Amino acid sequence: MKVEEVVLPGVGRKYTVTVGSGDRIVIVVHSSGKRELQYFEAGEDEEPSAALDLTDEEARELGAILAGVLFHPEAVGDTQSKLGQKVIEWIRVLPGSQLAGRRVGELPLPQGAHLLAVDRPGAPLIPNPDPETVLEVGDTLVVAGTREAVEALKRSL
Amino acid sequence: MHPSVEAFALAAGLLALGAALVHRFGFPPLPIYLLTGLWVGGALPVEDLEPLPSLGLLLLLFSVGLEFGPDRLRSLSGKAVRAGFYDGLALPVGFFLGLMAGLDWRGAALLAGVIYVSSSAVIVKLIIDLRRAANPESEVVLGVLVLEDLVVALLLALLGGHGAWEVLGSLLLFSAYLAFARFLGPRLVRFMESLSDELVLLLGAGFTSGTALLFHGVGASEGVGAFLAGVIAATLGLRERLERLFGPVRDLGVALFFLVVGAGARDLFQGLTPAVVVLALLGLLVKLPLNHLGGTRAGLSRKRGLYSALYLVPRGEFNLVLGALAQAQGYPLVAQVAVLLVLVSIPLGALLIRFAPDIGRWLYPKGQRAKPAQAKAP
Repeated sequence: MKVEEVVLPGVGRKYTVTVGSGDRIVIVVHSSGKRELQYFEAGEDEEPSAALDLTDEEARELGAILAGVLFHPEAVGDTQSKLGQKVIEWIRVLPGSQLAGRRVGELPLPQGAHLLAVDRPGAPLIPNPDPETVLEVGDTLVVAGTREAVEALKRSL
Repeated sequence: MHPSVEAFALAAGLLALGAALVHRFGFPPLPIYLLTGLWVGGALPVEDLEPLPSLGLLLLLFSVGLEFGPDRLRSLSGKAVRAGFYDGLALPVGFFLGLMAGLDWRGAALLAGVIYVSSSAVIVKLIIDLRRAANPESEVVLGVLVLEDLVVALLLALLGGHGAWEVLGSLLLFSAYLAFARFLGPRLVRFMESLSDELVLLLGAGFTSGTALLFHGVGASEGVGAFLAGVIAATLGLRERLERLFGPVRDLGVALFFLVVGAGARDLFQGLTPAVVVLALLGLLVKLPLNHLGGTRAGLSRKRGLYSALYLVPRGEFNLVLGALAQAQGYPLVAQVAVLLVLVSIPLGALLIRFAPDIGRWLYPKGQRAKPAQAKAP
């Protein structure tokens, strides 16, 4: 996902969000609190397929729904929880992942990132796993640490 | 009872009626204020409305400075700068037109400013009212307006005084204000945050009118003073707060101001000469191709480039400031062109922006683009 931010003097700010499929959403946040949304299909940059105006309140409600505040989908293994400057991250071992079959001791943990637990489906939670634990497909690693370290770990995987 | 109460009641009633009428047709109200003034100006005791209209213009320039100050330059994209360069070519063209019309260099420079500068206040309002903020051309247009306002503020500071000393004085004052904003602004932000809304409102009003007076004192235009006051306020971190606090007062003042401009234009039409009409028409026309070119050079499609050129038609606050300066310095021709441009370009511009998509469809039938259509991503 790519987000571009532009200041519109006298109006507010414009965010152009391009998602994986190439579709774009243009969001204008007015200084008055109003939001304007335009949806462009991939490859189309002239005319929006749809437009939507939201009041500040509606926009916040919609934002909360999108952020999963009201209903947090179970299917998503990859989530972040914020603890001030530190973050906790759940990293799923997907089929074909280079993590599968490796021992915990071999994990390329950057400085500042810690493996708290391994959650294996159908088994009790493995807290503070010892270095000899072998990871399997379907495991979820619970990693905590500074944002940079956790992001670096995610990138290296 | 003070006669202003009667005049105010009459004016506010007429403006409300006009605004309600156009609102039904989804049209922005600004041009109607002008036309109402033009229509009933003779019957309206305009002088009794003072000082609201004069303050309205100062507050309008203040809020333009607040939103379009030089601190916006940093967030300006390369696209907008490219479009602004082509837009700036209107200055030498306007200067040349002025010389052709028999003006000396100072008059020609004033005319160049009059032809060059579009109205940020009017265009922003039209973009918001007509829901065009999310469109790609709006970004370019608003960037161009930041550049225009800065150039014209400099031009006004340069042309403000008559003698060399006055010019120097106003330039020094101008630089002193910008330096203040640059170096002391960031340190005062926290202090300003601790002040109450009411104090900020009063300080802002005093600061704006005081700066205007100061600039008037050194022989420069008070409009530049109000604009710079807005620039300073923005660097003090007061942008959103002052917009919120001043917004309603400003809107009222601006409505009355445009009414008075419309009313004053009746005298203008009596002294209208062909030279004025020709210069105003050329002024309107010269920017269209320049801005169209600038828009396409900024990466917009030809259709969107055309929209951007149409958006930049309305002239407003700075034209009236330049016009007043020209009148005071003995260039009635320039003053008339300035006011005529405002009168014609605001209603015309509102129409053009409103129907820009239709005009675009008509000129560039579907499928035609400046750059070849990209293959759809798999």
